[in-house]
Amino acid sequence: MKTRQVTSWAASAGTGFARACVVLVLSMIVPAVWAAAVALAIRWGAGNPWSWLPVALVAPVATLALSRPVCRMFRSLIARWTDTVIAPGYRQAPPVVLMSTGYWWNGFSYERTSRDARLDQRWRLRWNDPANWRDLRFTAVVPLTAGLLAAIPPAGVAAAALGMAQPAVPARLIGLAGLALAVGSAPYAWRCVEPVAVRFLRASPAMELAERVDELTAQRADATIAQAAEIRRIERDLHDGAQARLVGLGLSLATAEKLMETDPEAARALMREARAGAATSLTELRELVKGINPPVLNDRGLVDAVRALALDSPLEVTVSAHERLRLDPPIESAAYFGTAELLTNAVKHAHATRARVYVARDDTGIVVTVEDDGRGGADERPGGGLAGLRRRLAVFDGTLDITSPAGGPTCVRMAVPCASS
Amino acid sequence: MRIVVAEDLYLLRDGMVRLIEAYGHEVVATATTGPETLEALLAWRPDVAVVDVRMPPTQSDEGLRAALAARAELPGLPVLILSQYVEQLYARELLADGTGAVGYLLKESVFDADQFIDALERVAAGGTAMDPAVIAKLLSSGSSTRRLDRLTEREHSVLSLMAEGLSNQAIAGRLFLSDSAISKYTTSLFGKLALTDDDNSNRRVLAVLAYLNEP
Repeated sequence: MKTRQVTSWAASAGTGFARACVVLVLSMIVPAVWAAAVALAIRWGAGNPWSWLPVALVAPVATLALSRPVCRMFRSLIARWTDTVIAPGYRQAPPVVLMSTGYWWNGFSYERTSRDARLDQRWRLRWNDPANWRDLRFTAVVPLTAGLLAAIPPAGVAAAALGMAQPAVPARLIGLAGLALAVGSAPYAWRCVEPVAVRFLRASPAMELAERVDELTAQRADATIAQAAEIRRIERDLHDGAQARLVGLGLSLATAEKLMETDPEAARALMREARAGAATSLTELRELVKGINPPVLNDRGLVDAVRALALDSPLEVTVSAHERLRLDPPIESAAYFGTAELLTNAVKHAHATRARVYVARDDTGIVVTVEDDGRGGADERPGGGLAGLRRRLAVFDGTLDITSPAGGPTCVRMAVPCASS
Repeated sequence: MRIVVAEDLYLLRDGMVRLIEAYGHEVVATATTGPETLEALLAWRPDVAVVDVRMPPTQSDEGLRAALAARAELPGLPVLILSQYVEQLYARELLADGTGAVGYLLKESVFDADQFIDALERVAAGGTAMDPAVIAKLLSSGSSTRRLDRLTEREHSVLSLMAEGLSNQAIAGRLFLSDSAISKYTTSLFGKLALTDDDNSNRRVLAVLAYLNEP
């Protein structure tokens, strides 16, 4: 029993020592750059203002460049050593788009080439991103806190090595004390890095809220644009289709009325035409209604609506679903139209012959997965169908994951958080 | 024939009743909601019922559910579903029990009164009346397509009309061909599809649809 305790303690001291060394090295990278710059300046002559140029210029740039990778390392190490996950929360760059004027728009400004646009975008994002400033702050704080504490075990070992090498007794005693300090502190010295990271590297609740507000503002704008486009489409369809046909119908009937006395045969032909016109406009209205709110979706909910889609698709589609679920109508409709679009893509772009649709609920919401056996290579172009789908799902905080290697197969997963009734 | 009409829109219900009576049939009851429909069907046991899919109280598929429930009570009760839209899923549900005497048509099929009454009579006689739109989808969808490739274009159109529920004579009328030509086509396509021939029109349609539904 005792030996086992001793071995396990020794093991934790060993890993603790190694972790402390890693924390020390990582946290000292940026201070080391500054120290090197200062050392260089003194060597070149402290009186010469030019020799301080590295300190004024090189060290800050190096800090800016190093802070992100250093923080990334800290985040992944902390996630591996403890269960604390710290989200990076960097802002994502919007896609760079070629406008009809020939200029590139990067979300902030117009540039002449896509390279310029990307460069400009990267600097602006860096400068405006709160996560970036958090990284810099952490890089400054960590050497003085976790770095200093993590330095204790290596320092103890160094003291022991130096002290034991001396013949004098007091020096040896100091060496012995250093060894005891190193061994005693090894399992604990690295642990300070986690609370420091939580305090300085994780976004504060206020910051997270601010980010969330920005996100929601963008979502609202997207939703408004999507809705306006949809209303324009419906208006256009009604105007060009059913409305025009009804006008024609009225005209035919008026003419038939006139001809009734003089030319009954022609009147009858016109009436037949009018009946055909009425049938056609009914068909058009039906298609329009189906595009706005599919009747089966309304009647039966998502699972049966997807089954109906599968029956109508030219592909061989199998649908797996655990239960008949009813969701909020807008979410149901988003999931339905998403599935319809993905199946259409599978036919049109992937040239698939069969597809599988899984509809499932988990603790957080609804997940619809569409797989096909097509040629893959689906990419998300700005303004394309997949980007539009992502935007429509984002309105509900939903996500879209696309796996589509060239050569296939394509698997797309739509997840929308919701509570079902 | 004694007919029950279940439709919630007054104008359409009234128009249909007039049309049916103009052709010399009797409308014994009308219904405007799902529960009323079920009640009327069970109470009157009509020769055929005309039922709308979407009805109050929920304005979803109440009518279809009532018809399916009534057919579960009274197997083979003839039902003609008239809907604003045709949906393969619902057509398959209607055909699922295999007893025939069902129809599924678009509402505008009443525009052509002769064909509508003809469909009613066919369903009442135990046959089927399916909308061409449903049949076109059934014939074009997925699994069975490859085996249907063996049919000629003419055989394909004969098969569609047969699946709608038409008799050889009616098919001949639609395609402007002679009866004997149609029976030649049906024999050859039955051979190609390995279906056993049968002069009962209902069994014939069911055999075709069952074949199409095969995975």
